[in-house]
Amino acid sequence: MSWYYIEGILIQSCYTLLIVLGLSILTGYTGMFSFGHAGFVCIGAYVSVLCTMGFGLPYWLALLIAGLTAMVFGAGLGKITLGLKGDYFCIATLGVGEAIRLIFNNLNLNLNIGGKSFILDGAKGIASIPLHTTFPIALVIVVFFLTATALLMKSKHGRNMLAVREDELAAQMCGINTFRSKMLAMCMSALYAGIAGGMLAHYFGYLQPKMFLMTKSTEYTIMVIFGGMGSITGSVLGTVLLCALPELLRAVGDWRLVFYGLAVIVIMIVRPKGLMGGKEITDLKWFKAIVRLFKGKKKEQQPPPDEGEKPGEEAQA
Amino acid sequence: MKDITFKHHDPDVVLSLWHATKRFGGLTAVGDVSFRVRKGEIYALIGPNGAGKTTIFNLITGVYSLTEGRILFNGTVIAQGENIIKDDMRETEVKPFKKKPYDIMSRGIARTFQNIRLFKSETVYNNVLTACHAEADYNIFQSLWRFKKGPKWLTKYARQEEALRQKTEELLKIMGIWQYRDMVAVNLPYGQQRKLEIARALATDPQLLLLDEPAAGMNPEETMALMQLIREIRDRFDLTVLIIEHHMDLVMNVSDRIFVLNFGKPLAEGTPAEIQSNPDVIEAYLGKEEDADGNA
Amino acid sequence: MDLQYYLQQLVNGICLGGMYALMSVGYSLVYSIMSFSNFAHGGVIMVGAYVGYFALTALNVPFWIAFLLCGVGSGILAIIIERLVYSPLRKRRAPSLYFIISAMGASIFLENFVIATIDGTPRNYPTLFSNSITIGSISLGVDSLLMIVVSAVSLLILMFIIQKTKIGLAIRACAYNEKAGTLMGINSSLVIFVVFLMGGVLAGFAGMLYGMRFIVKPTIGQVTNKSFVAAVFGGLGSLPGAIIGSLLLGIMEIFVASQNSMLRDLFVYALLILVLIIKPSGLMGKVVEDKA
Repeated sequence: MSWYYIEGILIQSCYTLLIVLGLSILTGYTGMFSFGHAGFVCIGAYVSVLCTMGFGLPYWLALLIAGLTAMVFGAGLGKITLGLKGDYFCIATLGVGEAIRLIFNNLNLNLNIGGKSFILDGAKGIASIPLHTTFPIALVIVVFFLTATALLMKSKHGRNMLAVREDELAAQMCGINTFRSKMLAMCMSALYAGIAGGMLAHYFGYLQPKMFLMTKSTEYTIMVIFGGMGSITGSVLGTVLLCALPELLRAVGDWRLVFYGLAVIVIMIVRPKGLMGGKEITDLKWFKAIVRLFKGKKKEQQPPPDEGEKPGEEAQA
Repeated sequence: MKDITFKHHDPDVVLSLWHATKRFGGLTAVGDVSFRVRKGEIYALIGPNGAGKTTIFNLITGVYSLTEGRILFNGTVIAQGENIIKDDMRETEVKPFKKKPYDIMSRGIARTFQNIRLFKSETVYNNVLTACHAEADYNIFQSLWRFKKGPKWLTKYARQEEALRQKTEELLKIMGIWQYRDMVAVNLPYGQQRKLEIARALATDPQLLLLDEPAAGMNPEETMALMQLIREIRDRFDLTVLIIEHHMDLVMNVSDRIFVLNFGKPLAEGTPAEIQSNPDVIEAYLGKEEDADGNA
Repeated sequence: MDLQYYLQQLVNGICLGGMYALMSVGYSLVYSIMSFSNFAHGGVIMVGAYVGYFALTALNVPFWIAFLLCGVGSGILAIIIERLVYSPLRKRRAPSLYFIISAMGASIFLENFVIATIDGTPRNYPTLFSNSITIGSISLGVDSLLMIVVSAVSLLILMFIIQKTKIGLAIRACAYNEKAGTLMGINSSLVIFVVFLMGGVLAGFAGMLYGMRFIVKPTIGQVTNKSFVAAVFGGLGSLPGAIIGSLLLGIMEIFVASQNSMLRDLFVYALLILVLIIKPSGLMGKVVEDKA
């Protein structure tokens, strides 16, 4: 197994992790189920390629623009559907995800920007995209967003999202603007997907609408569920396990997705909370023990509620 | 939408319902109910099951829209239906509207639910911490900087979050559930869940606290202790309390004034002594006390 | 472009719409009782289409028997899914999110199980009816007419069961309020069983008709996406809404396709977004206030 092959898997894991991270905010934390996330990835991919190949913008700027464009679409979709009850959101994301793919499937562009021609040919897509996404870059981006997400989810904004997932009415009755929380989740999720789309496009070197089928969306969701809803660590585990393992075990072939489907059903029945059960690695006992071993001098960042008195010491008021 | 506030509003009245009516299709759940809750009092809503008590709570908190009438909180209209009596319309236009629940609640109302609605899979501590959100106004980017050092605009998270944690601890200690703080809410004993719900409600710093059968499922001793606690928190946090309760003797003990509903219609209003001697109430409700208690 | 052309397209549209209706009623029934989107429905339809294909090619049975086999096969499959996948969740009173996820899992499983065991290549049904009937100046294929008749009869039987029988009354009661229905002595397990059975049988019919009209491949289950759109268009959770929505969607889709066949799928999803913006409750849906 060559390094080239392993690097490929690592890069794929990185941008998939970014998508799954975004989806984790939406599904795992806020409790909304998206069937069309591949659509946002698709927008990000095409926009970033237009930026680099068409307008000759630098890679990082192209990623940023791709993310923001996807976010604007996410916000628009949110505005339409977040106020609705029931499964509307779910069906709407499904419809929008497919619609985006179909638009690109029917889109024929032959732009001439500053002497350079940019050809987008419907189902054939775009070819010979510059390969900017290397493993170090992908890793830096993903670690940055991983940290940001972990911090954000431990803040007021993350808590509000969790409250929406747990009981939307009760959250409203606590004065939480549930629409705003859902919108924030939606926007962040689309932003991540858009950036990841840009990374994907500049890794593969070509783009075709059929890379963004609905099956992709469901695979991302499965990774979130597999790792455990409401856990960043879970999303990382889920992605790495489900993204890298099948690549290493090519022999499974067609049975890979059969196993996926079965795993989802079994998880929902046996362990609906996923691998991590809504906990983070920092919540686990063995991790705390290791941290205690290593630190001694350095204080932990987030003050967990379990410092201080032991249960039972407090007298009833 | 701009607030409609009454200039000649009595500052002593916290909440007033004005001919409030709610119909579901042909069914009148609440019909022409008017009352005023004064600052600092414990005001009880009683009535047999299905009398429309919880519906009134849902109207106040913006869960349901009002069919007719108007609801004011501190002189500001928070919900309005059709057919408002013209006399009263000097300062406003007649147009039905309802403010969003979170908007109403963030003006200083908090409530608990008859069938407890906690953030089930979160810890007791996080349930209350989540509800404290209004006191922190750091934005997404500010929440990424966790250090206490740095310019003031950057350290907002550290400062505000510490205040929230202090408040959470205080509230949990007042309600006597501090020792359960790391427990997942759904695993709490039933009585403690009710207390947690009150703690969560208090975390939003309300002026008006709506309690929907807070003692349901508790034994008489627990209920007495809870009622004592409600009086204490009323005094401590300078609250006005609107309470729905089935236990008759308790209502008589704890409340300053009582409003009796029967089949969605107002039956009587007055002090506990007046209610106890009101022949209509005795016939419609106290006569069936066994029944009501049996259902509670 | 004359009248005959339009009539022909109309018949094609009704044909397609009838097929969507067969799919979307099953979806709507489950939604109205259990309040979750049964995304495994597409898999059931796909399996139905394969049952029909193998019945016709391997077993060489006549059309009617193959058709009934489709219904039976899909009906049984729907019930197996309910028993194995949803019923453990139902017992635990899991939130609807878990049901949706499981449904998705089941759908992925079915689709890829077929790919892994049979294969992914598209197959054509043997030609069953090649002759056509000419009425006036319009000539209609027998298969189209058959599809319309079969859809109409199946849907009428379904409506009869829902409206006139005792179990139909129970279904309607549970759709209104499952808890109250159970309190009144309705066996909600039986209701769910019947709902999945009926939805499954109709899905099997739809699968066979789809296979006859187009092709059979493991991904045809995705055509149910369009029947979800039809259900939203007609009003989520309403049976007459699902039927009317499906018919209208089928007719509109065919007319759009006759103008520009590339836009046909895009049109369906654009319509969905439009409905969600303008009237999310759909044509026949009702807005209900949540109970606190």
